[in-house]
Amino acid sequence: MSNPVVELKHVTKVIKGKKIIDDLSFTIEEGEVFGFLGPNGAGKTTTIRMIVGLMGITSGEIMICGHNVKSEFEDALQHIGGIVENPELYKFLTGYQNLMQYARMVKGISKQKIDEVVEFVGLTERIHDKVKTYSLGMRQRLGLAQSLLHDPKVMILDEPTNGLDPAGIKEIRDHLKKLTKEKGMSVIVSSHLLSEMEMMCDRIAIIQQGKLVDIQQVHDYVQDSKQKYFFEVDLKKAAAILKNLPISYKRGENGIEVDLEKEEVPDMIQFFVEKGIRIFEVKPLAKTLEDRFFEVTTQGEKVHA
Amino acid sequence: MHSLIVNEWIKIFKRPGTYVMIGLLVLAVIATGTLNKVYGEQNPTVNPQWEQQVQQQIAQDQKQMSELPPTAATYKKNLQRQIAINQYRLEHKIPPDNEATGWTFIQDSTALISFAGLFTIIVAAGIVASEFGWGTVKLLLIRPIKRSKILLSKYLTVILFGLMMLVILFGSAAILGFALFGTGDGNTTHLAYANGSVVEQNMLLYLIKTYFLASIDVMMITTMAFMISAVFRNSSLAVGLSIFLLMVGGQITTLIATRYDWAKYSLFANTNLTQYTDGVPLVEGMTVSFSIIMLLIYFLVFQLLAFGVFTKRDVAA
Repeated sequence: MSNPVVELKHVTKVIKGKKIIDDLSFTIEEGEVFGFLGPNGAGKTTTIRMIVGLMGITSGEIMICGHNVKSEFEDALQHIGGIVENPELYKFLTGYQNLMQYARMVKGISKQKIDEVVEFVGLTERIHDKVKTYSLGMRQRLGLAQSLLHDPKVMILDEPTNGLDPAGIKEIRDHLKKLTKEKGMSVIVSSHLLSEMEMMCDRIAIIQQGKLVDIQQVHDYVQDSKQKYFFEVDLKKAAAILKNLPISYKRGENGIEVDLEKEEVPDMIQFFVEKGIRIFEVKPLAKTLEDRFFEVTTQGEKVHA
Repeated sequence: MHSLIVNEWIKIFKRPGTYVMIGLLVLAVIATGTLNKVYGEQNPTVNPQWEQQVQQQIAQDQKQMSELPPTAATYKKNLQRQIAINQYRLEHKIPPDNEATGWTFIQDSTALISFAGLFTIIVAAGIVASEFGWGTVKLLLIRPIKRSKILLSKYLTVILFGLMMLVILFGSAAILGFALFGTGDGNTTHLAYANGSVVEQNMLLYLIKTYFLASIDVMMITTMAFMISAVFRNSSLAVGLSIFLLMVGGQITTLIATRYDWAKYSLFANTNLTQYTDGVPLVEGMTVSFSIIMLLIYFLVFQLLAFGVFTKRDVAA
């Protein structure tokens, strides 16, 4: 494990006597894409806003590259680039003028750097047009450009894919991949879109009602090839045969669930066929993030209900 | 800090509204100039018998003063001032300058300072509130720059904008005034009445001082508008309240001052510093230092509110 770039220590946020965030602690490592998942109102945005200093921290502390956000705001924010929800930019300025605004606020950003960033997000042709003529996707790209100007170590994106079409979503994803691979950036991204998060993130934290419910490594399919498969078969017959075999299985509806490696699947099918068991359907049952998410969040709700 | 002010300046001048404001200000100067030229006295030559006229005026004023009831204190003081100045004219043989010159036009244009102030207030009211309105405040505040610095740069930008409006007003009034009315007879002294005596002042210096002093109330209200903008994030409220106070604040204060002494603690009793250099104080016993201290207190309160709230605020939505 390398150095943590972002560290939350027992962070609590109270607004009007209500605990919005309750004793949240986690760390984000260098070069990692960290997802922040939770139902609406769980406190994702509040947490992200505390990290970037838009909201105050009631108790606990947040460190960014070793600098406290509260007491060393300028040093801490130096390392952060962010888009908070849909990037709202100055519509009466051109894309370039917008970038100039932000470039002036940090020392040592050259014209060359701006051009480079514009090139990176693919806005070169439209950069001198007024932002009010931009589509949402282009604004999103300009928002990304804005956050990259000062070569931050951490990118923070709050619901970056909100309102984007699938192509736009894919674009953002590709950009993020490039950034983490090429520049070793860490990314914190929040979303309520599960499938999105699964594709983007290395690690995912699920929060609910301001509490950290679970942090999970996103399943790495290459390394861990065992998966659950569902066989729709005659349950009684199959059970009778499997009883004598060293295979653990679970009875499901109209069939059984077995943990297998991919290579073992044809063998299993052949085995059933040889034994005269009719197979109606075979499908992998990936335990998706979604399952985990609902499992975790509904449990939480029951506790609170 | 310099680049932050540049940023704010760009944000102001990339919006067409700003040019409309500047255009309206210049238009207002042109309109008053034209009206003065068309309807003003055509050939105001110096009356050779001006001494008699002035003496008559003095006698008339003195008569009026003795007839006035004691409650009309302010009016009485103004008459006193007029008499003193006229007597000074007789003693030093300075004819009254009824003549419209570029100088007098510049002086008359001080009436338009509140117009310039109005636009400055609009800018001040919007400079924080519109960042919230546009949603751009989020991207603005996640820079490695302290919030207090950002707010300070915004305030300084407002003050700079106000100064620019004053310079535009003064400049356009000067250009138009000298073009339409000429420079006059070269008599560029101004007679001021302060602390019961009359003094001669250089006209240009006097005018610059007048502009500066006349803009104090505008600057104070601008600061208030800025404070409302930062505290309530609502530019309409800031504009509305500030302009209302700019228009009627002085009058209401004068009204209160005739009955109650505490009026001297209100903001508007103190914004008009010319009452000490060339006129009579609103409430008996008020001094320049008293007013300056009051202004400083108001200024500090406005700034503390603005900075206190803005730097602590949670930026949601």
